[in-house]
Amino acid sequence: MAQNVRNVSQTEEVSSTRRVIAASSVGTLIEWYDFYIFGTLAKIISEQFFPKDNPTAALLATLATFAAGFVIRPFGALFFGRLGDIIGRKYTFLVTLVIMGGSTFAIGLVPGYKTIGFFAPAIVFVLRLLQGLALGGEYGGAATYVAEHSPAGHRGFWTSFIQTTATLGLFLALGVILIVRQTLGVETFSDWGWRIPFILSSLLVGVSVFIRMKMSESPMFVKMKKEGKTSANPLAESFKQKDNLKMVLIALLGATAGQGVVWYTGQFYALSFLQNACNVEFVQSNLIISIALLIGTPFFIVFGALSDKIGRKYIMMAGMIIAVIAYRPIYTVMYNEADLKTKTEVVEKTTVEIKEAVKGTDNVTTTVTKKTFADGTTYKETKNETVPLDAAKKAELAAAGKLKPETKKETTLPQAIYYKMIGLVFVQVLFVTMVYGPIAAFLVEIFPTRIRYTSMSLPYHIGNGVFGGLVPLISTRLVEATRPAPGLPPADPLAGLWYPILIASVSFVIGMLYISNKTNNMDVE
Amino acid sequence: MSAIKKLFGIVWSLMGIGIVPMVIMQAMKEIAAKPSEENWIFWSIVIVVLMPIIAFSLIIFGVFALKGEYDVIK
Repeated sequence: MAQNVRNVSQTEEVSSTRRVIAASSVGTLIEWYDFYIFGTLAKIISEQFFPKDNPTAALLATLATFAAGFVIRPFGALFFGRLGDIIGRKYTFLVTLVIMGGSTFAIGLVPGYKTIGFFAPAIVFVLRLLQGLALGGEYGGAATYVAEHSPAGHRGFWTSFIQTTATLGLFLALGVILIVRQTLGVETFSDWGWRIPFILSSLLVGVSVFIRMKMSESPMFVKMKKEGKTSANPLAESFKQKDNLKMVLIALLGATAGQGVVWYTGQFYALSFLQNACNVEFVQSNLIISIALLIGTPFFIVFGALSDKIGRKYIMMAGMIIAVIAYRPIYTVMYNEADLKTKTEVVEKTTVEIKEAVKGTDNVTTTVTKKTFADGTTYKETKNETVPLDAAKKAELAAAGKLKPETKKETTLPQAIYYKMIGLVFVQVLFVTMVYGPIAAFLVEIFPTRIRYTSMSLPYHIGNGVFGGLVPLISTRLVEATRPAPGLPPADPLAGLWYPILIASVSFVIGMLYISNKTNNMDVE
Repeated sequence: MSAIKKLFGIVWSLMGIGIVPMVIMQAMKEIAAKPSEENWIFWSIVIVVLMPIIAFSLIIFGVFALKGEYDVIK
């Protein structure tokens, strides 16, 4: 009889935890989706909202906005973390969801630079900051909330579901963008179709808010509040008290900084590398990443659960050091597999098509060259040369060196190389799952309940937002630094990897030396 | 192990201190060579955002490690 009662109670507990996980995860997934559609559509947003005179400046401006979205995250962590430790987890991360959804929806409605001039990038910039602020408050709340519902000995497993949301959010963003783009066609998508993924967010957020409204507050927080033990000033307690500050520092330098760069390299840099260094065609490159993410996602749970058994530290550190060692070889193979110089061209299949048209005051010459290679790779180069009909203007632009043609290169890989690329990205996602799967449990366990939301959110968002979020900007810069002259290919297309390798190496040494491998030492009472 | 942790404390602090002049000098050199908008954006982000975080956290962390604050970790 007593056994039956215990079994029923255990079943109810598991079922309740599952509901908590599902409700928390769906909301967090949507927040990540909202955040990533902006990054994924960086090029189009750059064209829509920033002056086109200098494409590199426009792209950098977008990346800077992207970085601003990341840089602002720690402030969101502080603001909402404090609220979450004072008024509770549930309402705080409900607010972050509404702010995120509202900002994303609004980005989809902002008129372009052509219509409202400077206001367009200014408004987008502010909305992006709001997105960053909301995301800064969301993750810590969700991880804390789930961890505080999870039974001891299983926190790694249960919190790993929250860890899958960042990757699934990116997957969802890529999926929605691909579907909308394929349905509307490239031209319509670039014109206005890109707004759909942003507007769609309002629907997803609405559903998620509804689900979250029905959730109850974290039992640990309720107990603490009843006993009058909540913190009056979580910020001061987290960062002015030496015992907490030293844990914040160890969490940042020994875990989240390394985890952040591994995360962004394996998912964002891989995509950027495929598209910009390997020139892999848009749909194919996105499919490579999406499939690798999908296959890799269950491993967040595998490593989260494993961390309950063998400890968080060694799994995270193994992920970092293997990534450090393997990045250059992996990217070398990726680069070589797509490198057309190593392939044999089937010359008789090469076609060149030239079209001339007058558009307004310009004469536009479009040259499309299509090549086929012996291994099945196909290559398409579209060169658009815009020359003013007015001779004086033409001479003026030529003198200023502004008559350079716009060239778009698209390589479509044959199946064997395509699958190999998926495998290579999957291996990187595996590193991500090792460092990221156990990290929520690690972070919630090193801070006390009364300041947990604040204390864990800041190192997480500095590590991911600043160290990780700057991977695209710094890596692009490092590659550019090896370019002998404008227009020539970079001497070392893999130079961008030095930034994540350096950060992850330092993080590994600090983590190995100073982090404890104990689990379940969560201060809850 | 405690001795190694303390010894590395010096390394972290020195890294934190050393990164400031290194980054600023590199920024000045690159901006002087090519004072373009993208150079300004890039180095502003590095100097205003990334460098202070790395420098401050490494210095404080190093000092804590040197004082033996991490000898026993819960």
